[in-house]
Amino acid sequence: MTDDRLQDAVVIERTFEAPVQLVWRMWTDPEHFKAWYGPKGAAIPVAKMDARVGGSRLICMEVQSPSGPIQMWFAGEFREVIENERLVYTELMSDENGKPTSPSDTDPPNAHPASTEVRVELEDVGGRTKLVMTHSGIPADSPGAAGWHMAFDKLASHLAQPVR
Amino acid sequence: MATAIDEDRLSDTFAALANSTRRAILARLVKGGATVNELAEPFAMTLPAISKHIKVLEQAGLVTRGHRAQFRPCTLDATPLKEISTWAERYRPVWESRFDQMDAYLAELQSRQEKGSPHDD
Repeated sequence: MTDDRLQDAVVIERTFEAPVQLVWRMWTDPEHFKAWYGPKGAAIPVAKMDARVGGSRLICMEVQSPSGPIQMWFAGEFREVIENERLVYTELMSDENGKPTSPSDTDPPNAHPASTEVRVELEDVGGRTKLVMTHSGIPADSPGAAGWHMAFDKLASHLAQPVR
Repeated sequence: MATAIDEDRLSDTFAALANSTRRAILARLVKGGATVNELAEPFAMTLPAISKHIKVLEQAGLVTRGHRAQFRPCTLDATPLKEISTWAERYRPVWESRFDQMDAYLAELQSRQEKGSPHDD
């Protein structure tokens, strides 16, 4: 695959002391997901996940502020679901019904809500699990969502070439 | 909101990169500054067409124009490309911290299983 190492993505590789079946459930079982996903100081009061291709996803993240809790919602869709191996889903800011939040009236007319894609690849390594997570950004309606990945890749390789 | 502005800027950068002529222009500028005439040379395009592409790159902040009125040479500005990696890098510490928590949670879960219910396997 040419897009395995996107320049504009966060790629993290970790090995967990747990069997691959259990690590898979960390991503697909709401109760497990809630237990680890919230960044420090945040809770996940809602995690709905219909983990099959085309199934929807809705996550609520709640952080405390002096004026009370603030909720942020993220909606998306599962793109690839291969049990214990590979999970791909999209994610974007939404309201509590999963409706993408549109840019506010004060934004310039060409401001788009950015969507992102999270890819999780699991591999059994002698009873432990190697996990590779790739989180990449997709500007919502740039000309050809796939196009700009390639555009950036190509430019990056151009820029990496020694000056002749 | 600051992030909205950043994301808007990112969209401009990506839109500018999503065109083979503009990528070729940038690739040429990696080798050094050039005038519009020089940039137009390899392309079967009119000068106004090339100027339009340069304008898009300029608006995305990828190209700056000199002030010498007659030639106004173009140079590459890689700052927006750095912003792209910054944008992605913002997520890294969040994920690192999540995975630390997953690590701890997995350890807790498995020790609970071992101690709590020996038949639960």
